Amino acid sequence: MQLNPTEISDLIKKRIEGFDMDAEARTEGTIVSIMDGIVRIHGLSDVMSGEMIEFSNGAYGLALNLERDSVGAVVLGDYKGITEGDTAKCTGRILDVPVGPELMGRVVDSLGAPIDGKGPVNTSSMNPIERQAPGVIERQSVDEPMETGIKALDSMVPVGRGQRELIIGDRQTGKTAVAIDAIINQKGKDVKCIYVAVGQKASSVAGVVRKLEEFGAMEYTIVVAANASDPASMQYLAPYAGCAMGEYFRDNGEDALIIYDDLTKQAWAYRQVSLLLRRPPGREAYPGDVFFLHSRLLERSSRVNADYVERYTNGKVKGKTGSLTAYPIIETQEGDVSAFVPTNVISITDGQIFLDTDLFNSGNRPAIDAGLSVSRVGGSAQTKIIKKLGGGIRLDLAQYRELAAFSQFASDLDEGTRKQLERGARVTALMTQKQYSPLKTAELAFTLFAANEGFLDDIEVAKVGDFEAAMLSYIRTEKAEFLDSLNESGDYNEEIASEMKSALEDFKSKGAW
Amino acid sequence: MSELTTVARPYARAVFEEAEKSNDLTKWSDTLGLMKAIASNDEVKALLQSPKMAKQAGAKAFLQLCGDELDGKAQNLVRMLADNNRLSLLPEISVIYEALKDEAEGSIEVLVSSAKKLTKTEESAISKALKKRLGRDVKLNVSVDESLLGGAIIHAGDLVIDGSLKGRLKKMTSAMAN
Repeated sequence: MQLNPTEISDLIKKRIEGFDMDAEARTEGTIVSIMDGIVRIHGLSDVMSGEMIEFSNGAYGLALNLERDSVGAVVLGDYKGITEGDTAKCTGRILDVPVGPELMGRVVDSLGAPIDGKGPVNTSSMNPIERQAPGVIERQSVDEPMETGIKALDSMVPVGRGQRELIIGDRQTGKTAVAIDAIINQKGKDVKCIYVAVGQKASSVAGVVRKLEEFGAMEYTIVVAANASDPASMQYLAPYAGCAMGEYFRDNGEDALIIYDDLTKQAWAYRQVSLLLRRPPGREAYPGDVFFLHSRLLERSSRVNADYVERYTNGKVKGKTGSLTAYPIIETQEGDVSAFVPTNVISITDGQIFLDTDLFNSGNRPAIDAGLSVSRVGGSAQTKIIKKLGGGIRLDLAQYRELAAFSQFASDLDEGTRKQLERGARVTALMTQKQYSPLKTAELAFTLFAANEGFLDDIEVAKVGDFEAAMLSYIRTEKAEFLDSLNESGDYNEEIASEMKSALEDFKSKGAW
Repeated sequence: MSELTTVARPYARAVFEEAEKSNDLTKWSDTLGLMKAIASNDEVKALLQSPKMAKQAGAKAFLQLCGDELDGKAQNLVRMLADNNRLSLLPEISVIYEALKDEAEGSIEVLVSSAKKLTKTEESAISKALKKRLGRDVKLNVSVDESLLGGAIIHAGDLVIDGSLKGRLKKMTSAMAN
């Protein structure tokens, strides 16, 4: 028999000393029925909505339906051992999760309990999982970029810190890959990341965690996982729990990035819970408040001003703004973006990244559809250089797609159209990017500059990828200082343009690709 | 169970208001107590469920079982319940009626289970303390439960005050485990 770390005599002594021996007064009820993780309780006359309920087997529940003579609650976790006639106790606590920097590098469940086998998490504070989003007065406009390191995203659909950008697409179009790349790119940028996995295969989550560890991204990341085998109640709560953990960083004047992978499955889980609680079904059998389910969650991603942070931290953090950027993911069926949940989330978010099956299958990865992907305020948060150089790319690509479809039927094309098609093909080739290889701002600037200034025009389309790789490695070695200063400032002017131009001309004259 | 309470409440409230108007609270309480006892009997339950005993046939049988303990109003109640097929609700109606009566009289029934038989002074100390806490007159209903090991548990409606050794040990177990 082995000793647990908690079984040290001193610890046990301290616990016995600190043990509260007073008689305890609480409200009790009787379980009338239990089925499919839903419990009906008679009694509990002064229970609050959203209060935690303790069952006799030690499991907790969440009171959701308060009716005249009964309370409908979901069991959080295992409902084995709860029987009809058992007592259920009020705890007087609204459901909360541990928050704080101690959680980083850990994998936890929807209640914040570690599930990675690395021992207990010793956090000092707890936050309720349902919180009101910051109000109008407390917000600050978005003016800092949240860079993903993906060429197509940073140039065409930029996202600012504090925004909500939806990643939407069919299954197997690389939605999670985009999100993971965004996390990996935050290395060394002092952005805390939270990855919320809802209703996914445990093996996929394990795969993501392994990848994040491999790229050294786990040290600034919290993974909140409610897998497909977890109860629906846990899957429904996981995004809120992750959001509470992200809000801690936002409220303390730091920047955080949260990924909800994916909200479709959360809506399914909520639908299950609602139907079992006998709430009336609406469109697609979702309950009436499925819009509010997502809007209240995504509204909590925001940029807050320094006053808010100062007030929240009681003056400990001064003059710093905080932000929580969200990348919710929605999975569509057969590209149907007009289904209920996708339209809801599209209307809540600040824009969407649309991933297309055909593009993915034809090898354009990430498979971002330039025409359908938009960002509502991201442009004002782009660095100057990317804004200047990336401006034309989106238009080029969107026009190219249309033109390419149209020109398939035309035998001879005029000079202008032919040029546009050739340029489009090169830009498309340039926008493909391998997974796990995010680009820095300056590197992206060089790539875009090469495309804009026609350095690619005499390169075969198939060679564009090689050309880019060779160019970047040349610049990384020959122009390291210039790259660093460009990354730092993000500025763009005549001087910088001419230096970039001469660097590219140098490289091209060597012809080493 | 909760559905039964919901259905039984309007009947109980109607009986209570009628009793209050005619100042018959205690009499009705006894009557309902009797009907509850009869309706809770397993054989009576089975009998009332048989299709032969639907509506007035059931009422007739039930009234016969009660003998001549019931006055006109109580008989009417039984007939009306039988008409609505709600005779099986009598136990719930009685419980809600008692709660309403206690509320109107400013008293509350409290169940006290203790490990050892309580002395008179202990009982009066408990009822004094509870009166202060609940702001109502307290009717103590005392029982002995040796499995508590020590101390006592007090049930007042939904409120439970656990001062038993068993409860503390359980609390300590969970405190040590986490």
